[in-house]
Amino acid sequence: MRFHVWISVLLVVTLAGAAGCRKHAETAKGDPLLTAYDTEVDWTDAQHVIPLSYEQAQGKRIFYQQCVWCHADATPAGPSNRSNLTPVPPLLNDGATLNAESDEYMLNIVTLGGTAMGKSAMMPPYGRMLSTGEIRSVIAFARAIAQPSYQPPARAGSQYSAK
Amino acid sequence: MPAEEMSKLTGRTRLIFAASSVVFLVVLAISPFKDFRREWKQYKRSYLRFAQGRADTKKLLADYHPDIDQIWLPEMNVVDRCTTCHQGMTQASLADRAVPRAFRAHPPIPHNVRDWGCTVCHRGQGPATEVAEAHESTLAWEQPILPTRFIQASCGTCHYADLPETPQLTRGRELLAELNCQGCHRLPGIERSAMLGPDLTNIGTKVKFRLSETELRGLSGYLSIQKAQAVVPYKIDARVVGVWSNNPELISQGELRFRQMFCSTCHSLAVTRAGEIKLIGGDIGPELTKVGSKVNPDWLIAWLRDPQDYLSHTRMPRYGWSDEDLYKVTQYITTKLTDSDLLTGVPQLGQPTEQEIQLGHRLFLEKGCASCHSIQGLNPQKDFGPDLSALGGKNASDLEFGVAKIPHNLVAYIQAKLQDPTSVNAAARMPQYNWNQSDLDAITTALLSMKGPPATSALENLVVPSKKAVFHPMGAFGEVYERYKCYTCHKFNGYGGDLAPDLTYEGSRAQRGWLVEFLKNPQTLRPTLILRMPQFNMTDKEAATLADYMVMVLQHPAANPARIDAKQFTPAMVALGKQLYEVKYQCQACHTIGGTGGYVGPNLNNAGGWLTAAWIEAWLRNPHALVPNTIEPRRNFTEDEVRALTAYLMTLRQSISPQKTASTNARHVATQGSGR
Repeated sequence: MRFHVWISVLLVVTLAGAAGCRKHAETAKGDPLLTAYDTEVDWTDAQHVIPLSYEQAQGKRIFYQQCVWCHADATPAGPSNRSNLTPVPPLLNDGATLNAESDEYMLNIVTLGGTAMGKSAMMPPYGRMLSTGEIRSVIAFARAIAQPSYQPPARAGSQYSAK
Repeated sequence: MPAEEMSKLTGRTRLIFAASSVVFLVVLAISPFKDFRREWKQYKRSYLRFAQGRADTKKLLADYHPDIDQIWLPEMNVVDRCTTCHQGMTQASLADRAVPRAFRAHPPIPHNVRDWGCTVCHRGQGPATEVAEAHESTLAWEQPILPTRFIQASCGTCHYADLPETPQLTRGRELLAELNCQGCHRLPGIERSAMLGPDLTNIGTKVKFRLSETELRGLSGYLSIQKAQAVVPYKIDARVVGVWSNNPELISQGELRFRQMFCSTCHSLAVTRAGEIKLIGGDIGPELTKVGSKVNPDWLIAWLRDPQDYLSHTRMPRYGWSDEDLYKVTQYITTKLTDSDLLTGVPQLGQPTEQEIQLGHRLFLEKGCASCHSIQGLNPQKDFGPDLSALGGKNASDLEFGVAKIPHNLVAYIQAKLQDPTSVNAAARMPQYNWNQSDLDAITTALLSMKGPPATSALENLVVPSKKAVFHPMGAFGEVYERYKCYTCHKFNGYGGDLAPDLTYEGSRAQRGWLVEFLKNPQTLRPTLILRMPQFNMTDKEAATLADYMVMVLQHPAANPARIDAKQFTPAMVALGKQLYEVKYQCQACHTIGGTGGYVGPNLNNAGGWLTAAWIEAWLRNPHALVPNTIEPRRNFTEDEVRALTAYLMTLRQSISPQKTASTNARHVATQGSGR
């Protein structure tokens, strides 16, 4: 009988040792704001800070250089030019208007200007100034700050959801 | 031996054998089992399952193999196995947030991951194959992953020149320069400027020495005797002053002059708006809210008359204001810009004793004052604080954390040190700064970017040096240019300040006559700007000297006067141009003509009196060839449209006086008030 005990102890020790050797990797679950390249305060709620990726952050930079004058109510220089325009251009975070437009449409109207898309000529074309990548980054920024928030259209292959 | 005993023994032996075999088998199995369970293999298998569950499986598994993946760039010292687990890195279809983080595509960045590896930007341990060892700092592997909010530091390790894509890094570098960190520390790429702290050689003539705290009695005694150069305070005849001082509106007129000089373009004042104290004004010069409690009135008049005489490298221009105006401004500053509470509790100091002066001299050296401020007879100390040029690459074990209860890593160390230098080292002499979170992060980023000289020659070749430019022309122009310190606000060939327009090609842009008028009486072109060019009271000759030089030298090759002849403009062209402006292109969205239009671009009411036809023509073709950062987009005008728009804009003229605006009023008062 002692052998049985001895053998089972040996087995238990071996297995326990094997199990003990296994390292437990901790996956650091960071605060999304700390892992963001940049952030933007929600225009409609100062308490809400939106994390931005590299691309969205580049869009933010270009927006605050080029677009802020007419597509925001507050600008780095103070007053906005928005009220001088007819028709009044949408705010960049106006999800109710912009969420319905596809990325392709947004790319086209920025690249070709309002006239080309049957809208106001007051929207100039930026295709000879900004690269497609830069314009896409501005769209990405618009999507990030949209209120109500933007839901990308369903795509083939995106049914997989993370657990 | 009896048979039954024999069989019992055999049975037992068999049992032992059987059991040991099982144990050995288990022991032997541990190794392949452990190998099978390795973290990276689990990630490999999980990616395989993940890819098989998607529509684009074939594309996702194109380079899949069950071994370790590695990016090896020997010349850059990069051995990065990160892609072993992060297998979706280059798959554009995996950019979705729904994709598990480990497999998500890398967001688009200017560098290709395959050419650069991962650790060049993210740090961490490239060769490690376990999650913890790759990302965190362990005993053997000391470089943890750089938190994403400081990632711009990695751009700065090679890009010494400022990038538009990394605003946080640029801000951090600006802060390092602005706060004169290079006064005490060695910082790569940031040179000791001429203006660290003001020269204190004559401080005893400038300051009323009552500001200091009791414990600095010695120091203030020492400083108060610094009157080496017998600066003759600029004295105005007492009888004249007597007449001026009887003026009942002295102070209010002084305040008016203060505003007309646009002191607020460079200096700020604290004002209370809606219960909140706010600083209004620029930050080129010091804040002036309480300056009246600091300076002697006699010194102030002399300073305002000729700041460059007291401090040769000051950025303050020499104004051409009359003595009476200077007297009024001085009276305003010394009576209104004061704080009566500031000096309560500060003991009145008598004549300093020899002992106190000795103590002050010692303190001045020991506290590091001499790093930034020079005093006659003392050499400025360089490298008073530790060398920071390789701080960003330090391992946690190289740092002294003292008794501070903070995580033992470089980022936490830098932030603790910046917020309270004594928290990690009780004997630190570094002053304590009050940061807001974004400035703290920016300066941390800039410090993290300083990893010392590149480790390999290949990395050395990647360094993008920052451009150093200076523009100090000689001759008559140079003299006026230095007098008014144009480069404090304007840029010339990459040298100078950012506050006002870049004047590198001003001679191509503006007509000579307009330049002269503007220099004598600067009026803003953009109504939304708060900071304005000061009224210098320039003489005709000075304005002409500046304008002549600009028209002759500050020219852009793209603006070619031979290309367009204003005499060939016809009324039909003008009419077409007007129509294009108003209907087809609707330029009024951003520009104002008459009373209507937007205010994003400059007001064009006087375009024909201000701009040259060559500039307008070149501008319409491609604004960015002339001013690379301008926000006006490049359009696709035809040749005829360019000419028609130019013809129309050249007809827009406005004589200077009719508008009754604040600035024209100011101009009238200024011309009357100036004694030149």
